[in-house]
Amino acid sequence: MAVLFFNATLMTLGLALSSLILGLILATVFALLELGRFRILRYLTTTMVTVLRGLPEILVVFFIYFGSSHAIFLLTDEYIEVSPFTAGTIALGLIYAAYASQTIRGALMAVNKGQTEAAKALGIHTRRSFIRIVVPQAWRHALPGLGNQWLVLLKDTALVALIGSTELLHQAQMLSSKTFEPFTWYSVAAVIYLVITLISQKLLNSMKAKASQHERVVTA
Amino acid sequence: MNLEAIMDYMPQLLKGLETTLELTFASLFSGLALAVVFTLILSLRFKPLEWLVKAQILLFTGTPLLVQIFLIYYGPAQFKGLQDSFLWPLLSEPWFCALLALALNSAAYSTQLFKGAVDAVPAGDWEAALALGMNKRQTLIRIVLPHAFRRALPAYGNEMILVMKGTSLASTITLMDLMGYADRLNARTYDTLTVFTLAGVIYLTMTGIMTLVIRIMERRALAFSN
Repeated sequence: MAVLFFNATLMTLGLALSSLILGLILATVFALLELGRFRILRYLTTTMVTVLRGLPEILVVFFIYFGSSHAIFLLTDEYIEVSPFTAGTIALGLIYAAYASQTIRGALMAVNKGQTEAAKALGIHTRRSFIRIVVPQAWRHALPGLGNQWLVLLKDTALVALIGSTELLHQAQMLSSKTFEPFTWYSVAAVIYLVITLISQKLLNSMKAKASQHERVVTA
Repeated sequence: MNLEAIMDYMPQLLKGLETTLELTFASLFSGLALAVVFTLILSLRFKPLEWLVKAQILLFTGTPLLVQIFLIYYGPAQFKGLQDSFLWPLLSEPWFCALLALALNSAAYSTQLFKGAVDAVPAGDWEAALALGMNKRQTLIRIVLPHAFRRALPAYGNEMILVMKGTSLASTITLMDLMGYADRLNARTYDTLTVFTLAGVIYLTMTGIMTLVIRIMERRALAFSN
């Protein structure tokens, strides 16, 4: 049992981390498109983000999982199944990006314009000043929001159980139907989720402390 | 995706709308009632109850909603004693289990929001009320809570939408809500893209309407400020 749950925990973490990486990349792209100069791309991105946020997460997961096979079938006349892990990662990554892009956009806008101007006055190239001056400061603003969305993402990985990936919830489901002890196994899964959440919160707090160590402390 | 299919599917999907809406409002209402009581307990620091509320919040915000739904719906069957008790008719009812899970989940998140808003009320408000001779409980109920709830409204609006979206998980315990009918229709027709797109359009319409209503409520509640 312990081995089964250990593997399932690794699967949950793998799903969550790969969705996080995909989500952060997509979120940055969405945020830059929304701040960008092309009006059509701006509207398209805003629409997509709004749609993703307005749909139940389970619908997005099902849409990507069942819909991708359906779309491939319509296009190529062949039935190819997309793995639950891949479909889950894409769906959860998209959902994460829809929320995180707003955090990143806000964080980028929160960096004082004078910073870019000062960098320019010092003769620093635009791209270099964006990476070296703007991003580190925006990171500090974005971290709390991105951290909260990570906690949401972690819990959303349970939805991938419904399309058959052997993560924590699915493992609990299988053991429950085998042993007729549903309360025990769902509780075990719940406790593991709780522990991962608590560890994440601890890590996020120390990351936050590190990111703001240079901030001036104003005491009343 | 053709018009004929849409005309065929739409009425079938809309059959689930009633369950989705009922579940949303019932969960929001019971969740809100619980959250108000929990916020009072936390703010007044009723000792043993305070610990219980904190444990409830930790449990329900730290685990996935789907796990909570499964635990409440499938869990009790393990205990013979529960199956013979008067609670069994309720606990074997998917509608009640979904409501219970959603209400407790929403109560946990809402209590966090409300407690944060209570803590954010300026100390001067408390001091002014105390100077006028009000005791702690009166101040909390008459001065601080009305102020805090108004301030928490935008965040609570998001929570309302999350609960509405969360009701779709009830379909996993055999409840035929909007998502339940979408699932059934998909399994029968294999017309996945059309069916789920239509279900998505209905959910988006609901989110849109809720967003508008929340915005109007916010404007009313905060009309006196700024």
